[in-house]
Amino acid sequence: MLSAFKSIPTDMDYKGQKLAEQIFQGVILVSAVIGFIYGLFVQQFGWTVYIMLAGFTVSCFLTLPPWPMYRRNPLKWQPAVPEASGENRDKPQESQKKKKHK
Amino acid sequence: MNTVLSRANSLFAFSLSVMAALTFGCFITTAFKDRSVPVDIHVSKVMIKNVDDFTGPRERSDLGFVTFDIYANLQPIFDWNVKELFLYLTAEYSTKSNALNQVVLWDRIILRGDNTKLNLKDVKSKYFFFDDGNGLRANKNITLTLSWNVVPNAGILPLVMGSGHKSLAFPESYETAKSY
Repeated sequence: MLSAFKSIPTDMDYKGQKLAEQIFQGVILVSAVIGFIYGLFVQQFGWTVYIMLAGFTVSCFLTLPPWPMYRRNPLKWQPAVPEASGENRDKPQESQKKKKHK
Repeated sequence: MNTVLSRANSLFAFSLSVMAALTFGCFITTAFKDRSVPVDIHVSKVMIKNVDDFTGPRERSDLGFVTFDIYANLQPIFDWNVKELFLYLTAEYSTKSNALNQVVLWDRIILRGDNTKLNLKDVKSKYFFFDDGNGLRANKNITLTLSWNVVPNAGILPLVMGSGHKSLAFPESYETAKSY
């Protein structure tokens, strides 16, 4: 079961992370301002807390799951080096390591 | 911010900081408010007895009985930063042996949402009005004042005295009641 959870991809690319941070900071600040003004108007601090919690829930929903909008700029990796020359380089390194261990 | 846990961590920490700032804002909007209202106290009956006070060192002490009325409107004190009020009625006087005596006779807690207009008649004191000695008999000037402690959501807990007090005198001899 746990392996099924771990296999769900939850990563975002860098621009997506920046966008996610801006979104949640914006949502929480806006809900804080609305909550403060409404609480001051009805003279009940409980309403301020409730509006803040609503803002928190909305921003959780918007930024915690990896929506596609956070994955629009994936990193451009270098193309893989073909296998043949890679093996030739590996072998002399491995033999050097064995000598050191003795 | 690459994993869900890391994003959840940032989100939660940011929310807590913003919540702390909002609470400070709530405190600042009510920190410099005057929390005193006018209070009307009447006294209907006064009596003294001379009894053994087992908590004190001497033989017999004066025990006073006061029946009073209180009228006050506490509605202006309650705002969004007040959770409850702790009211207490104090009797203040001076005797030959002590320059200043203060005794709490009665107290009450008023939560936000309770009835804030006090209209109490013929209330007996909740606590014993013992004197440290025999200084209550024929004492001409005993002042009753109503004060309260404001318990806020965020900030300082001020002790405020209501404006308005009542002075009364105790009778000359024991076991005789004096009506006002």
